[in-house]
Amino acid sequence: MDQILLFAVLGLGQGALIAGIALGVVVTYRGSGIINLATGAVAMASAYIFWALTSGFFGFTLPTVAALIGALVAALAIGVLIEVAVFRPLRTVSPLAKLAASLGILLTLQATVLLVFGTQPQQAPSVLPGETVTVLGITTPADRFLLTGLVIAIALALGALYRWSRFGLATRAASENEQAALLAGLSPNGISLANTLLAALVAGLLGVLAAPIVQVDSITLPLQVVPALAAALFAGFTSLWIACTAGILIGVLQSIVYFLSTQSWFPTDNGNAMPGLQQLLVFVLMVVALYVRGAGLPRRGEAVEQRLPAVPLPERLLRPALLAAVVAAAALVVLPFDFRQALTNSMIGMVIVLSYVVITGYVGQISVMQLAISGTAGFALSHVAIQLRVPFPFDALGATLLATLLGVAAGISALRVRGVSLAVVTLAAALAMEQALFGNTSFGGTAGVSVPPPRLFGVNLGPGADFRGLDGNEPSPMFGFLVLAVTVVLGLYVAHLRRTGLGRRMLAVRSNERAAAAAGVDVRAVKIAAFAISSFIASVAGTLYGYNFGSVSAARFTALAALGLIGFAYIGGITMVSGAVIAGLMSTEALLPHALDKWFGIKGTWALLFGGVSLIVTLIANPDGIAGAGHRRRAAKRAARAAARVSEPDGPHPEGEHHAPAALDTTEVAS
Amino acid sequence: MNVLSVQSVSVSYGGVHALSEVSLDVGQGQLVGLIGPNGAGKTTFVDAVTGLVTARGRVALDGQDLTGLPPHARARRGLARTFQSSELFEDLTVTENLQITADRPSWWRALGETLGRRVSPDSAATQALSALGLEDLAHASAHQLSQGQRKLVGVARALAARPRVVCLDEPAAGLDTAESAELGRRLRAIADDGTSLLLIDHDMSLVMGICDHVVVLEFGKVIASGPPAQVRTDPAVITAYLGASAAQPTAASQQHGGTPSAEGPSKVATTTPEPS
Repeated sequence: MDQILLFAVLGLGQGALIAGIALGVVVTYRGSGIINLATGAVAMASAYIFWALTSGFFGFTLPTVAALIGALVAALAIGVLIEVAVFRPLRTVSPLAKLAASLGILLTLQATVLLVFGTQPQQAPSVLPGETVTVLGITTPADRFLLTGLVIAIALALGALYRWSRFGLATRAASENEQAALLAGLSPNGISLANTLLAALVAGLLGVLAAPIVQVDSITLPLQVVPALAAALFAGFTSLWIACTAGILIGVLQSIVYFLSTQSWFPTDNGNAMPGLQQLLVFVLMVVALYVRGAGLPRRGEAVEQRLPAVPLPERLLRPALLAAVVAAAALVVLPFDFRQALTNSMIGMVIVLSYVVITGYVGQISVMQLAISGTAGFALSHVAIQLRVPFPFDALGATLLATLLGVAAGISALRVRGVSLAVVTLAAALAMEQALFGNTSFGGTAGVSVPPPRLFGVNLGPGADFRGLDGNEPSPMFGFLVLAVTVVLGLYVAHLRRTGLGRRMLAVRSNERAAAAAGVDVRAVKIAAFAISSFIASVAGTLYGYNFGSVSAARFTALAALGLIGFAYIGGITMVSGAVIAGLMSTEALLPHALDKWFGIKGTWALLFGGVSLIVTLIANPDGIAGAGHRRRAAKRAARAAARVSEPDGPHPEGEHHAPAALDTTEVAS
Repeated sequence: MNVLSVQSVSVSYGGVHALSEVSLDVGQGQLVGLIGPNGAGKTTFVDAVTGLVTARGRVALDGQDLTGLPPHARARRGLARTFQSSELFEDLTVTENLQITADRPSWWRALGETLGRRVSPDSAATQALSALGLEDLAHASAHQLSQGQRKLVGVARALAARPRVVCLDEPAAGLDTAESAELGRRLRAIADDGTSLLLIDHDMSLVMGICDHVVVLEFGKVIASGPPAQVRTDPAVITAYLGASAAQPTAASQQHGGTPSAEGPSKVATTTPEPS
């Protein structure tokens, strides 16, 4: 019992950090309507800067207090940059685009920290006194209590500020109805800036103070935003008090779970305690929060109509698909082995982004889980092929089916949850699956599980096949052909989907669920179909991953990798198959990063930085993505040509509407 | 037999009774008007009938009970509606908007279609477009349309479902007088072709001019119902629209003039600003 109490107290440190980030999330949401996934990354950045200032990284060493002030100034500077460069230009876009923008900030901050400070985790000196206190018979470090007290004090101060100051009143007004606040003479920009700065300050402070307790590194610290989001969900993204309390409690619960996992009765996995239970706990808490608070977030009366990226009807499918297939097939044979591998990786990336085209582009739901479903399919493939000895292609089909079922089940349970809430809860689910499922050696494991090469009628179709292309090296183009065939078929399927009745119903659901239901569209059925199609495509990509490397490991399917893929999908154009092709070329270890690395020596982290920045630029300047912009240009050119043709014989046409049906069997009913 | 039969429908939000015990029938090919001051509960009534808000009471279509069915199931049985703010599907073209309601989807059919089976387009969409004279807009994108065009496309989208009855929520708002009259002629023709219509609108000359039967709501209750000529002279209706002081002189002038003139009171109601 004493032990549990001890771990509960130790968990206060983590809890205070989570609570601080949760306060930052809530404050940002109230100020600007953005769910800022980068709040944890701000904490990370200022913790690193604090470490650098105290350890002489920049060539000089500051005393602790000066370094603390320096780190907080840096946090404020990041806040100003985020506000001016990202939040302000995106004031009027859809909530999903805002979420994607904060993802861009997260990727950018993370890449910057990696480039400046390296991948090594660092131990920063503690600002708080290192004494211990004895409470209820247990001796614990005093800093945990100080930190918790501090975060509670911050929550109270912020609460008082919102309740009694004019600024707080303005923030509350703007968060309830931005348009009305604007008309009443309040400046949303000023309010948003002040709140963003407050959030950055709180997150930065907690990052510096709690970092010695949780260790400073560039992966775990930014992802502390996930438990913080669970706390913010409990608070309905409004109540500072609940966010603070829930954040602290989550930290304490995680610590207790950690303690329990050290007990002898605790279920083990190959001698170690079951991994990932803390992440699973956060996910379960989020689900509970969604049921307790309802799935909707408080809405703001935003000033401008918020359109999602356009989804144009594809005109021609077969010709561009065949052309691209011929070019890719030739490239697979001609290219040297490393570029051949990169091209194969690109095509697998395209397939997984196709799953985002369906679920996010067509139906408007961000599901971060899709990459985790790929991972499930990959690991399942290993088990089905090796343990059950199922031959190709039935092993791949079985694994795909299994993972698709999982995706559909997740989709069905998430039917009530939509939009931004869905993105948040699936992020937690992806993290939980990464840690608990893929980290578990009886299913996955970080070391990886092997996958036998695909063999059909005795012919090896895998990367080790006999046919070796022009340079005679592995991987074999045979596997490239297999991936190419799958990519082309799935790409055509997704493009064709847009032209079918189901595709139209998906877009109807995306633009207005109420109107869709009143028009006879079964919204639930459409969403389930979308989850099924998207999960199927993602699962196929997972099995291809497995064959590609001959093994599957957890590192490929992390939640952070999933966020990066969504970023690439947005840059390419998340509503179009051609966008998926572009995104695939940019994805990890694909052609573009490989070429940059080989020719210019630009490493993957720079690609991550480039991805983060271009995601933000895309959202601001070109929300339809590269593919969407190309399509718009072509359509405008066609329209101009057609207008020129029409205006010659019979004068100008109204509104450039040039393809009015020539002869309709009109049943003219007007009296 | 009545196509749409609504019996004592009530909706309350917390302690507020938005609708109490409203009953209404729409017969085959009938055009029924539903009018009332702003906030009377007209849109709530349509929401309740189409299943978008939970309501007590009974809704039947062609004698089939719809109570408790979700909105899309009601729509597929032939209960169509338009929205006050004409909520079109912005990403689709006008024709595609209409095909959404014209399609009769099933899992099997959707699977076949996505795998490449050809499906002949339903003629309901083109017919609905021509019924409202919108052929020229067939390939326009919904977000390019003007407010008036959006209203008409909304009506066409409801008709493309080949419904038994359509609830029209202020289809003429945002149209000018000539366009409104034109819409009225087209609606009358649609009703005469056998599709029953429930029309909500503030344009009194439109409602009084084309409806067979008019129901008046105020504060969630039916205060009058009958043929337009009768409703127009009802003192309760005049009080609701113009205030108590207006009821007396109008009623008096009608007694003086003997038969009530066709334009008189309706003109008054048309030019009066909405009590808000």
